[in-house]
Amino acid sequence: MPIVRENTRSCILPLLYRRANYGLRLLGPALLLACLLCTSLYAQTATDASSGASGIRAKHVLGLDGVKRQIHGTLTADASGLNFAAKGAKGTVPIASIQDVFTGQDSRQVGGKVLTVAKMGVPYAGGRALSLFTHEKVDSLTVEFRDANGALHGTVFSMPLGQAAVLKKQLVALGAHASIPVESAPEKKDAGGNKQ
Amino acid sequence: MKSNRRFLPATLARIAWPALLLCAICLGLAPQGFAAEKTETSAWSIQVEPVQAEEGQLPPDFSMAVYEDLIGQLVKSNKFQQVYRSGDHQAEGVPNLLVLRMTLLNFERGNQTERAVTTVKGATKVQVHLKVSPRDGNVLVEKDVQGTVRFFGENLKATFALAKDIAKTLDEASLPAPAKAGGQ
Repeated sequence: MPIVRENTRSCILPLLYRRANYGLRLLGPALLLACLLCTSLYAQTATDASSGASGIRAKHVLGLDGVKRQIHGTLTADASGLNFAAKGAKGTVPIASIQDVFTGQDSRQVGGKVLTVAKMGVPYAGGRALSLFTHEKVDSLTVEFRDANGALHGTVFSMPLGQAAVLKKQLVALGAHASIPVESAPEKKDAGGNKQ
Repeated sequence: MKSNRRFLPATLARIAWPALLLCAICLGLAPQGFAAEKTETSAWSIQVEPVQAEEGQLPPDFSMAVYEDLIGQLVKSNKFQQVYRSGDHQAEGVPNLLVLRMTLLNFERGNQTERAVTTVKGATKVQVHLKVSPRDGNVLVEKDVQGTVRFFGENLKATFALAKDIAKTLDEASLPAPAKAGGQ
């Protein structure tokens, strides 16, 4: 009996080794697929969370005194001005001090530093391929304003696509100055290119 | 195995002592290096003007980011008595005031995804011509400076690189002693 056991062991071990080897080969693509799924889910949830009713979810890029850079918070426009509120930080730009409001668009990679590092660890340069799916377009809102001494300040926010124009409209309606008028909704055209 | 056990501590000891020595030297030299980096505050104050560019050449977010980043870097450098923003009334009565003006030379908006995928394409570049002069005097510093983001980070990171480079240029520049108020 022991001889039989020994034989089966000698047969099974290489088989198991081969299977393990095969499994390791599959690990790379599986990891790639898992990362892809996770990032696409992350991007979706980030977009869903951004469109709140009580303000616009935005990132403070730079410019507000007393507010850290690259911090996420809520941006609202009311009679007091443009307000940004984040965890433990608040900043306001009074409407009367606003010199100009600009909107723009940019594209960026989602996931921040964590995903960048994770992508570097994906085998077979899969991180690069992953980058093709982990980008999103964002709006930017730039506000130029002057303080009590007349000194020029500028602040930049980034937010989900289509939100900057809404905020600019609100600011202009409240009395903020904007050198470029708020863009009107794009006119629909039929197949022949005629305006409707 | 036995030979390995004997071999390992000896090797570790051989590596550890020089490594410890190197660490000690580095730690000893580090404060000196930091002290050497400290710059003397000049007698000048500076007022920063935003980047001058033709309409549509430089997006407003980039223009404001250069301006804000530069003010931050100049304050951090400790080279000037005061750093004033454009239009600041407090700067009107300051005697030794330099004015920093920037004119856009080149702007290329890259793409972060292109950078992440190819590594060699999609760089964002901002190049400006820098001029620093007293209110009504000769130009003291004049240089073309460029900020670039090539690998990691968003496009706006180029403005930070540019601001850092400008602050470094001014830090290294030897500014003359300001003329006395009575002599002017």
